[in-house]
Amino acid sequence: MLLNRDDWYETSRDLDWTLSYADPEVAFPARWSGVGDVPADAWLAWDEPFRVSYRDYVRIQREKESGVKAVSSALLRAGTYEKLDPAHVAASHLHMGTTCMVEHMAVTMQSRFCRFAPSPRWRNLGVFGMLDETRHTQLDMRFSHDLLKHDQRFDWAQKAFHTNEWGVLAVKNFFDDVMLNADCVEAALATSLTVEHGFTNIQFVALAADAMAAGDINWSNLLSSIQTDEARHAQQGFPTLQVLVEHAPERAQKALDVAFWRSTRLFQTLTGPAMDYYTPLDQRKMSFKEFMLEWIVNHHERILEDYGLKKPWYWDQFLHSLENGHHAMHLGTWYWRPTLFWKPNAGVSKDERAWLNEKYPTWEENWGVLWDEIIRNVNDGHVEESLPQTLPSLCNLTQLPLGSAMSRHDLAPHQLVHKGRLYSFDSEISQWCFEQDPERYAGHQSFVDRFIGGQILPPDLGGALGYMGLTPEVMGDDVYQYAWAKDYTAPVA
Amino acid sequence: MALFPITGRFVGDFVPHLVAVDTGDTMDEVAEKVAAHTVGHRIPRPARPGGYDVLLRDRLIPPATTLADVMAETEVLPLQWFDVRFRRPEAADA
Repeated sequence: MLLNRDDWYETSRDLDWTLSYADPEVAFPARWSGVGDVPADAWLAWDEPFRVSYRDYVRIQREKESGVKAVSSALLRAGTYEKLDPAHVAASHLHMGTTCMVEHMAVTMQSRFCRFAPSPRWRNLGVFGMLDETRHTQLDMRFSHDLLKHDQRFDWAQKAFHTNEWGVLAVKNFFDDVMLNADCVEAALATSLTVEHGFTNIQFVALAADAMAAGDINWSNLLSSIQTDEARHAQQGFPTLQVLVEHAPERAQKALDVAFWRSTRLFQTLTGPAMDYYTPLDQRKMSFKEFMLEWIVNHHERILEDYGLKKPWYWDQFLHSLENGHHAMHLGTWYWRPTLFWKPNAGVSKDERAWLNEKYPTWEENWGVLWDEIIRNVNDGHVEESLPQTLPSLCNLTQLPLGSAMSRHDLAPHQLVHKGRLYSFDSEISQWCFEQDPERYAGHQSFVDRFIGGQILPPDLGGALGYMGLTPEVMGDDVYQYAWAKDYTAPVA
Repeated sequence: MALFPITGRFVGDFVPHLVAVDTGDTMDEVAEKVAAHTVGHRIPRPARPGGYDVLLRDRLIPPATTLADVMAETEVLPLQWFDVRFRRPEAADA
């Protein structure tokens, strides 16, 4: 008689043995497991709610794959991609270029859980996580490959992380830190709990809804399918937090506070512009801030409360950043558009501007006045005045421009000297993150550091574009060729 | 004299820029190089140009002072933050 799953599940996932021929520290180095001062038997309490067996996993994943493939094939035949709004399409270029290889990096992180996590249950779940991330990489690659014939920018799904494009360097720097450089405990708190259980809701739920509204059913379907996996393997964060809170609460607090801020800055870059500027106005579901408040802020507050932790010391600054950070990133990426591999939409026609002012009461004073000068130059026929001649200064933690965390009225120097080198930060919060573990971040060279260090030749903007791997066929430009600016020309009498 | 990279912020703009200046530049010349990336691009040119002020650590630097002079007086590291703003009448008299 076949046993029911419940008859063997506990035994299966608890499979472990006491090492007698090998030193446990050699087999499970603390450098990789991240156990720190947490006693070994504390990990016996590590538990997860997803009671999944390999047999179940394969059956369910196969069904998901069949569904995604069927929708994708039908839509490709129907030629739906050609009918999409070009501003929306840019959001998919941005997503594929900055996310596909992150999924692949996550395979390595999950494989570290499989091998080095301090609990057999966690190692068991890590196997499914590893398979999930392999699937996500392949889904992104297939989606992009199918659309290569329409636009070479989809080549950046694979290519981006092999270039030095500055935005990609920022994304890569973050995930190098929280996935590849992190031990199992850190990675579970920063990636599984903070990024996957929290922030990916923006990318995979909010953006999926916007994509569906924009008629991009293929991409929306892909994002939603990926999210079903994220919701499962992200569960590795909670039991890890539970153990850490009981045995090293200060470490848990600091790890979450650093990860939450770094994730905020990342998603202000990746998702904020896509939601509030690239998605066509009549197809927007929520503003980026509204979504953040409902899905991320409330969620994070609940977690902190449930586990007896405090809100980060920077909470008020974070809320202020929600009003501003992604607007700064949008203005910056649009202005430095030749440094992108997608075509950004300015998104500041009069109707769009009215929407921005309704959603963000300080938008006009903080951002509108800067756009006014750009609009004036465009309408006067001086588009070259709306293009950069140098690089923005960059943060040595986030790798994003100084000034892109808050509004122009908050812009102030945050600099410190560490071992004779001057480091710059986009906010007091980023400087605090750096100060928690300077050696972790100090060695990295930002794009600006490379520029003044002589790695980028010739040392001008043209040299920088070449160093980034940007070629004319993918280089960013205004997606509507400035048609939106006509809103602001005086009517002809 | 030598090229020297600074972080140049024009007050009112939303980002500071990487600006290559020369240690022989006066503050008026430094200001022009910083302002060139902002004024007329994201901040309108004033109707009547009146020059710019340069500040280091909130301290106004006299316009004829060279960067080398400043470096002789205080520590200035590569990528040091300098503020530049439209000249205020009281500052011009300083």
